[in-house]
Amino acid sequence: MAKNTLSSRFRKLDIDEFDENKFVDDHDEAVDNQGPDGAEIDNLIRQGDMMTAFHIALRNPPVITKNPAIKERALAIVLRVLTSFKSSDIEPAVKSLDRSGVDLLMKYIYRGFEKPSDNSSAILLQWHEKAFAVGGLGSIVRVLTARKTV
Amino acid sequence: MPGILTATLRPYLNAVRATLQAALCLENFSSQVVERHNKPEVEVRSSKELLLQPVIISRNDKEKVLIEGSINSVRVSIAVKQADEIEKILCHKFMRFMMMRAENFFILRRKPVENWDLLFSHHQLPHGADVQAQAGGLRHPLHGGDRQGDQRDEVVCQRQGPYRRRGVPQKCKSSCMSFFSPRSFKFYLTSMFLTSAVLRKFPNIPYADHDRHHGF
Repeated sequence: MAKNTLSSRFRKLDIDEFDENKFVDDHDEAVDNQGPDGAEIDNLIRQGDMMTAFHIALRNPPVITKNPAIKERALAIVLRVLTSFKSSDIEPAVKSLDRSGVDLLMKYIYRGFEKPSDNSSAILLQWHEKAFAVGGLGSIVRVLTARKTV
Repeated sequence: MPGILTATLRPYLNAVRATLQAALCLENFSSQVVERHNKPEVEVRSSKELLLQPVIISRNDKEKVLIEGSINSVRVSIAVKQADEIEKILCHKFMRFMMMRAENFFILRRKPVENWDLLFSHHQLPHGADVQAQAGGLRHPLHGGDRQGDQRDEVVCQRQGPYRRRGVPQKCKSSCMSFFSPRSFKFYLTSMFLTSAVLRKFPNIPYADHDRHHGF
């Protein structure tokens, strides 16, 4: 037999890696938003200025970074803001957001559902209801299909 | 206390309903790995591009619903509140009852995912999937006695596969959707109140029907 059939090195090759149609998730480790500023938010909550705290919390979402610590921190801050809202204030807050803001809010709401604590789920359900009324099914679909999760 | 409890029920059900409506947007999608096969991607999880983000909706830390979607299939896992021993036992018995009859449900999975109590799975098959007729009048429950390897037969095999994930034939689609209508969904959720911990306690109880694992 010919000599080249004796080698079985080809068996260690994973041919699927070289398929040009293979899906690769984007890996942008570029400089990313670091999430909202905790101290600033704390001040605003203490002063009772919920709307501003809300808007600041939804700025600079850490969507691209893969570092879980940054995401956890941002999530904790946003959840603190969301849970300190009064039920009557939720609707005007949601109305004041634009389309991408509502999507981002939905992302945070679903992340908040993952770790239910005390009464957080009840508030989050109210937020969900109001955000759904504004964003519609599209906002939920954009949460489900998002590659860049908050 | 009852006021607080029931106050979250309606928003919870509405939230689950809205999320399900968004996630149950499926289309037929043949396997990219094996030709002529049609696999529920949420079970196979072979390719990241086909999977949606899993999403949880929780009412409190004991009751939640996990929805995992993909391009052609959806998994809905329900965690049911189990407050005391009697509820745990009732839950276990109820779940056993339902899951042993998973075939008749079409969309019920025999085994729940780890730490969850009840699992529904829906797989979107090709249009007009009245498979029995397509495969030309089967005699054998899986495939006609001497017919092998055709996609239509594979589809039949999928339907009888070990996870009991099943496509719903076109004419049964409406019954699948009504399964999630408010009244019946609420029934399932409220009856889940009676059914709790045993699955949590004994997660390894084999529900699958072992002697029917042929052909897949």
